[in-house]
Parts: sequence; C-alpha cells; structure tokens
Amino acid sequence: MMTASPATDAAIVKLEDVHLSFGQTQVLKGIDLTINKGDAVSIIGPSGSGKSTILRCINALVTPQSGKITVAGTRVDQLTKESERIQLRKRVGIVFQQYNLFPHLTVLDNIVLAPTRILGADKTATVKLARELLEKVRLSEKADAYPGQLSGGQQQRVAIARALAMKPELVLFDEVTSALDPETVGEVLWVIRDLIRDGMTSILVTHEMRFAEEISDTVVFTENGRIVDHGSPQQIFHSTENPRIRQFVGGLSGGGRGAVRDGEGI
Amino acid sequence: MQDMNLTGLFIDLMSRLGLNYEFLATGYEAQVWRDGFITTLYLVAITIPVSLVFGLIFAACLTSGRLWLSAPVRGFVELTRNTPTLVQLMFSFLVLNTVVSNMVGGAQNNPLSPFFWVVAVVGLHVAALHAEAIRGGIEAVPSSMIEAARGMGFSQFEILRYVQIPLAFRSSLPAIVNGLISLVKSTTVGNAIAVSEITYASIMVWTQRDNVVEMMIVLLAFFSLINFVVARIGQWVERRLAIPGYGL
Ligand SMILES: Nc1ncnc2c1ncn2[C@@H]1O[C@H](COP(=O)(O)OP(=O)(O)O)[C@@H](O)[C@H]1O
Ligand SMILES: [Mg+2]
Repeated sequence: MMTASPATDAAIVKLEDVHLSFGQTQVLKGIDLTINKGDAVSIIGPSGSGKSTILRCINALVTPQSGKITVAGTRVDQLTKESERIQLRKRVGIVFQQYNLFPHLTVLDNIVLAPTRILGADKTATVKLARELLEKVRLSEKADAYPGQLSGGQQQRVAIARALAMKPELVLFDEVTSALDPETVGEVLWVIRDLIRDGMTSILVTHEMRFAEEISDTVVFTENGRIVDHGSPQQIFHSTENPRIRQFVGGLSGGGRGAVRDGEGI
Repeated sequence: MQDMNLTGLFIDLMSRLGLNYEFLATGYEAQVWRDGFITTLYLVAITIPVSLVFGLIFAACLTSGRLWLSAPVRGFVELTRNTPTLVQLMFSFLVLNTVVSNMVGGAQNNPLSPFFWVVAVVGLHVAALHAEAIRGGIEAVPSSMIEAARGMGFSQFEILRYVQIPLAFRSSLPAIVNGLISLVKSTTVGNAIAVSEITYASIMVWTQRDNVVEMMIVLLAFFSLINFVVARIGQWVERRLAIPGYGL
C-alpha cells in the first residue's frame, strides 16, 4: 500500500476544485483531493496553508464558495440546512489539537454523551462500547476520572475514543499531537497507528513527518491554499523534485524533533 | 390547650423582659401574623424556581446570536436592572393588571392576584440578574470546545444544553446565590400591593399593638434564617457540582 491510491469508485472523500474565502482572504484556491475507503492520508504543509480548513470542509464545519465535495455518498457542498450538515458530522469523526473534552463529565460520560444523546443509541450498549474503546486506547482505569485529572496525552486518547464511539465512517485528525508534551506524543500516535491498521479511513494533518511516512498511503503537501504535490510517502519524502517540499520536509525532520517525538515501539 | 399554655408562658416570659407579644393570645392578629410567615415562605419557594428558569431562558436568548431573541431580552434586562423593583411592581399591578382586567371584561374575571404579580415582578427581576451571570459563563466556554461538539454533530441547542449551561451554571453559582438572597429580601415589596406576607402582617400588628421592636426582632430573625438556609444550600450545590481537577 505504498503507492498513491488511484481515484476509483471506492472513493469515500472527493474534493473537486474547492474554493473558499473568509471575507477577502482566499484560503483554499482550488483543492482537488480523492481519498479511498480504508486509506490513511497525511496532509502536510506550512502553517496557514489551509490544512485545517480542508478538514473542516470535509466535516461540513465550513462551507466553500465553490467546488464539489462528496463524503461517503453525500454531496456536502449541496447541503443547505444545518440539520443536514449535522447528519453528515455524525458520520465523520474529527479530533482537534486541543482535545476539548467536556470538563464536567467523567471520561466514560464524555464518550457516552454524544452516542446516547445525539445519535439516540442504547445506553447499556454504548457504555459497553465505551469501555472497549477505553481498553483500546489503554485507559480503562481512567473511566471515572475527570479530564482535568489526566495528562494531555491521556486526554487526547480519550478524545479519540470519544470520536470512535460515534462509529464514524472516517476520522479526521487535526494536529492532534501538536499541543502535547514530547513524552506523551508517542502514546497518541500509537493509538492512531492501531486504528489505521484496523482499516479506519483516516485523514491526518500532522507535523510528525516520520509518523506520516510510516502510516500513510498518500501524503499531500499544501501551500498557500493549493495542493502542490501528492504521492506516496516515498515520493514526497525522498524523491520529490519540488524544492519547497524538500526544504519543508528536511527542515522538520532534520531538526531531530520528528525523530525523537515519533515514539517508535510504544 | 397545651398550646395555649405554651403561648401564655411565652407571653409571660417575654413581658418580664419588657417585650409585648400579647397579640399572640388573640385569635385574629395571631392568625394574620402566622399566615404572613406562610405567605412569605410560599413567595420565596415559588419565586426562586421562577427566577432560575427565566434566568436560563434569558441567558439562552442573550447568547443565541439571533437578534429577534436577544434584543428584546437585552432591553428587558437593562430596564429591570436599572429601575426599582417597587416601581416595577406598582407599574405591573396598577397598569398591566388593569389592562388584563379590561381585556377579560372586568376585575372579577381577572385570574391574576397580587401574589401573582409579586412572583412575576420579583422573579423576572432576579432572572435578569441571573441571566447576566449565566451569559458570562456561557461566553467563557472556549470556542474550540464548541467546535469540537459541533464536529460530533451537536446542534446549537444541544451544545447549550449539554456543554455551555452545565459549565456556565457552575461558574455563575456564587452570583446566582447572591441573586437569590436579594430575591428573598425583595419579596417584602409585596406589602405595597397588600399581599399579606410577613412584613405586611407585622405592620398590621404593630399599628394595633404599638410593639414595633418586638415585631422587628422576629422579622429580622426570620429573614436571616431564610437566607442562612439559602446560602447553605448554595454551598452544598457548589460542592456537589465541583469538578475534580478543573480550576474554575
Ligand atoms: N474562521 C476564519 N476566519 C478568517 N480566517 C480564517 C478562519 N479560519 C482560518 N482562517 C485563515 O485561513 C488560513 C488557513 O487556515 P488553516 O486552514 O487553519 O491553516 P493550517 O491549518 O494549514 O495552518 C489562515 O490564513 C487563517 O488565518
Ligand atoms: Mg491548522
């Protein structure tokens, strides 16, 4: 799976010529992106290049001015009502840099709240699922703790479990390790790696270059609102001709930071 | 009989201390006075939940981002915060109540009692104070937390219900308890429109008996006791809702 995935009927996400501005600021200037079911795609690129905005478009948190967006069979750009966008968001998980757990709820209640209250899922079954997910992210013993009693890495793993409890068809990760202490980055990457190995369609915005290289089927490089290049990790990280990408990739992983933080073997 | 003896004993004891509680031995005045306590306790017990419910509704309107909801509530909050409760009550009872009477074809058909107007005016006045406190708490919830909830498929109302209000209620609890303490005191404005709560009843007794000091002692003790209980309940709720590891 180390080659760029061709656009086929298996596409779960498809962006075609997506343009988006906030007021006068053009943020996305024609994004084309196809992601197949079961793939892991990393989006890398300088800060402000539109990576988060791409994820928000896929999750219908923002609406572009033009272009086609298809997610799991839904034409997101054609959704007009907030209630329709909400239906889509229930099927697409998103995890942010600031874990944003609900501070007044225990870990277990954080995971159970949305499936039971928003999806209307059965409480007993959801609690069971929540405990399984906590096991998966290795936090079973923290079920009754409050977010304020956990480390950043632990909170982020709960946030991932919370997203998974919605049984999403794909999960978006927006720089989920950027706010973490270096020693806890590895435990979060470990969880994501596991998830991808289980076949979850995942789109990651990340600065963890070695991690992106290891787990991605496709790597996308964005700059200034455009996708400058995309391809296999091998292509993007080792054989690109593009001097900007070489500089960006070299600048990040060459600093030793990526290597140390990758948390190999955790 | 036992009761009469106890009352007699009390009156006797107090009179030795120079305090005149003789009215307790009468049927009518003692009855009015006892009913005054009950009426005040009813006023407090009904107005507190009214103020809390409307405080929440007002805060939700103020933070809804919809002008047609927020503008009228903002206007009401400013009006009620900046004018005396007594004037609001007079206006409500003398003007609004008359309008209602005319609409239903005469005062005899008007179901709204003076008691109702005290609950409405004091309740909504304090609701305006609660609303400002809760609004502050709602707006203090970080936008990134709201976006995370939106990203999971929460509607705006569900975010309010499950995230913003639980957090805002906790952070505004001290202010809410202060509001409730002033609510308890404000129920005494009822005496201006002849609601026979405890101050009204006490005034009635002391104009007959010339025992202002005696009645005052009981009045002050009574309100102190109610507010002591309100503050204690507030502390208990605060402790119950405290979030481990979360610095509010
Ligand atoms: N809600 C917004 N309003 C105005 N400008 C925004 C908003 N969100 C993002 N932007 C701008 O859009 C650009 C791209 O942002 P973003 O997608 O967050 O970039 P990245 O995630 O690659 O750092 C930035 O210049 C940012 O300032
Ligand atoms: Mg970003």
